[in-house]
Amino acid sequence: MNPLLEVKNVSKRFGGLRAVKDVSLAMHAGEILFVIGPNGAGKTTVFNLISGFLHPDEGSITFNGHDITRMPPHDAAWLGIGRTFQIVKPLPSLTVLQNVMLGAFMHTGNVRRAEEEAGRILEFLQMSQVKDFLARGLPLASLKRLEIARALATKPKLILLDEVVSGLTTAEALALAALVKRLPEWGVSVVGGVEHVMQVVMKIADRIVVLDYGAKIAEGKPEEVVRNPAVIEAYLGPRYKEIAR
Amino acid sequence: MSGWKFWVLLAAGCAVSCLPLLSSNNYLLQVFFRIALFAALGLAWNLVGGYAGQLSLGHAAFFGMGAYGLAIFAAHHVPMWISLFLAVLISTLVGGVIGKIVFRLRGPYFALATIAFAEVLRLGAANLDITGGAIGLSTPSLFTGESFWKLFYLSAVILAVLSFLTNYWTSRSRFGYYLMAIREDEDTASAVGIDTANYKLRSLILSAFLTSLAGAFYGSAFQFIVPDSVLTIDISVQMAIIAMLGGAGTLLGPVVGAILLTGASEIFKNHFGERHLLIYGGLIVVVVLFLPEGIMGGVQQLLRHGRRPPANPLAMKAEAQGVVRQ
Amino acid sequence: MTTFFQACLDGLLIGALYALIGMGLALIFGVMRIVNFAHGAFLMLGMYATFLLFDRFNINPYYGFVPAGILLFVFGYVVYKLLIQPIRERSEFMQILMTIGIDLILIDLAQLTFGADYHQANIDLVNRTLHAGRFTINAASLLSFGIAAAFIIGLQMFVMHSRPGQASRATTQNRDVAPLMGINVVRIQGLSFALGIAFAGIAGGLLLPALYLFPSVGEDYTLKAFVIVVLGGMGSIEGAAIGGLVLGVAESITSTYIGNQWALAIDFVLFLLVLSLKPSGIFGRQRA
Repeated sequence: MNPLLEVKNVSKRFGGLRAVKDVSLAMHAGEILFVIGPNGAGKTTVFNLISGFLHPDEGSITFNGHDITRMPPHDAAWLGIGRTFQIVKPLPSLTVLQNVMLGAFMHTGNVRRAEEEAGRILEFLQMSQVKDFLARGLPLASLKRLEIARALATKPKLILLDEVVSGLTTAEALALAALVKRLPEWGVSVVGGVEHVMQVVMKIADRIVVLDYGAKIAEGKPEEVVRNPAVIEAYLGPRYKEIAR
Repeated sequence: MSGWKFWVLLAAGCAVSCLPLLSSNNYLLQVFFRIALFAALGLAWNLVGGYAGQLSLGHAAFFGMGAYGLAIFAAHHVPMWISLFLAVLISTLVGGVIGKIVFRLRGPYFALATIAFAEVLRLGAANLDITGGAIGLSTPSLFTGESFWKLFYLSAVILAVLSFLTNYWTSRSRFGYYLMAIREDEDTASAVGIDTANYKLRSLILSAFLTSLAGAFYGSAFQFIVPDSVLTIDISVQMAIIAMLGGAGTLLGPVVGAILLTGASEIFKNHFGERHLLIYGGLIVVVVLFLPEGIMGGVQQLLRHGRRPPANPLAMKAEAQGVVRQ
Repeated sequence: MTTFFQACLDGLLIGALYALIGMGLALIFGVMRIVNFAHGAFLMLGMYATFLLFDRFNINPYYGFVPAGILLFVFGYVVYKLLIQPIRERSEFMQILMTIGIDLILIDLAQLTFGADYHQANIDLVNRTLHAGRFTINAASLLSFGIAAAFIIGLQMFVMHSRPGQASRATTQNRDVAPLMGINVVRIQGLSFALGIAFAGIAGGLLLPALYLFPSVGEDYTLKAFVIVVLGGMGSIEGAAIGGLVLGVAESITSTYIGNQWALAIDFVLFLLVLSLKPSGIFGRQRA
């Protein structure tokens, strides 16, 4: 079966800084893939490249058979790529319901139907009680859920979750993780990006790709990657490489 | 506001607006004409500046193109009402062209570019023969006879209602939601599939249509136009202030703003003479410092105890954005 | 050919003044991200201040611009404290609107105080011309060029080598991180604003002998300042210096070959051209 998403030898430079160096990864429909790496490893850049907010200097990206290398973000969204942002971007003056309706509008032009669809998604995410509150006043955990809700309303085939559990308490993070784990059941594949919070990653990832300084240094199942000396060195420093042996 | 309540209030508003028609005082009718026209203008600006959140300071371009279009076509013996149609058509199309260029810009660049366009038109009008240069052109009267001002006032009211209904429809449609998303956060808007440049353009085209229509009627009512009367940045600023003072992004805001501002400038014309710059400037400062939501925005907040979104989210902090997007 | 070079020469002479105006705006934009639509109005105030000193106390504008500049510095700081600082965190939209409001108020206040009449400062120097080969140089223009050039170099050195100057550059590059370096961002922003305004005032003083003075005289210069800043790359002070010279030459050539009234048009044309083709300016870096 062909991969749903294929990133091939992608590089991106900002001035003198090479943020992403010759990175390749692939994922199949129904998978939960996590991209991990220390701060500055290039995870968010990769997400921006996939979702069209940035374009690679070299390499290509294919999604569901389409070449999306130079596609603008709204077109990528239409193809079925949804995303959340590392720093949450709610629409502050709109209510929670209205925020999610924005996503629902991709599949209907009717306000009433968008309202219903948004309401359904919020209920499913256990956010119905806050649906008429302004997005602005919500706590972080709810905002993170809101981001996911809004992305889900667009009925994506793939959702990019950038640091979706960072800033949450362990309990909140695990609750959200349980939700994310179920997304493939509803036809949504997941690419998540985290810096740490390894508990979550171990629990729900099917596969992991590790980036360090913009390059891929490891890839594989969670248990394998976590024992990889290069990975340990990247996170903890060279002294801890011993742990792997 | 929804359903039957809205239509009742609208009908009431229309009825009240028709009261001045009972008077034969031409001066009074002229004042009301201005108020109604500026209500229409404020509402037209509201589409771009209020809902889409784009600070256009060049709307005088459309106003002037409407007026000059009417005058120029008529001067070339095109029947009056066809001239009007052509003028509005061309202004709207030019609006599309301008939009394609300026919406690639963000923040201050955008505002500057809109100012630049209007000023280029003003300079052009002041220096070219076909526009009569600095001397100006005479504009045909769409209406004649005794009820001259009554008919113009009625037209202005109809235009204001048209603008109002456009705003109303926008605020309750996917189009409006998309505009508001663009206003709040363009990245988020893109991420949910909104082609931001396209929607901004649509709001501008709609706005340009209404504005140029108003410009044509204005030119016609006063029968003579010069670059400094219809293409001046004053008009652009007025449109923005009317909407902001009343509450940008709300339905009634621009109407309230027009009544207050235009009405007050008439009333105080004798007392304050030429101090309109000071008053506008002072109002802007006051609104920005103390009443960023505008009057209707403030009222809405009070009524709903902060549960509903404030009318003017432009008051909020926005992240510094780059110059050009995609 | 001589005509062409003469036009260029004239353009450079006025260009230094433009550079001064533009650099002030660039400083304000760089440090505070505020587009000061009132810049020309402050220039106008500088002109009036210099004029008053000339009219009442017979102080030659080429000395008078100094107290005018100092006055505008103080005034600029006051305006910042009262009207700009409170809205630091607001959206661009609101900030732009505020400076527009300030612009309108200043113009009308000037009209109230000084009347709408045109004033003029008649200085002998304006009538004297120097000759260099086939070229003529207006003595007054040369003097203001020299003074402007001195200030331009001074500002460059200040920004590069002094502590406040470096602090302002740091703030320009990264407003969020600057406080971590011990920079009092609010104070630096206030100082930068005041300095930018002072430069506008100085330019106004230097322009006094060459122009008619009336309340809205500064408005065209606001646009020029914007064009210069955009040409040079928003926030780049060196860029603004070059941009000023470029604009001066462009205007001069347009005046010579096409006609005086189109000089203003070239401002717009340049502005729209740069915005369409290379929005980051000749020296700008694309800001993320």
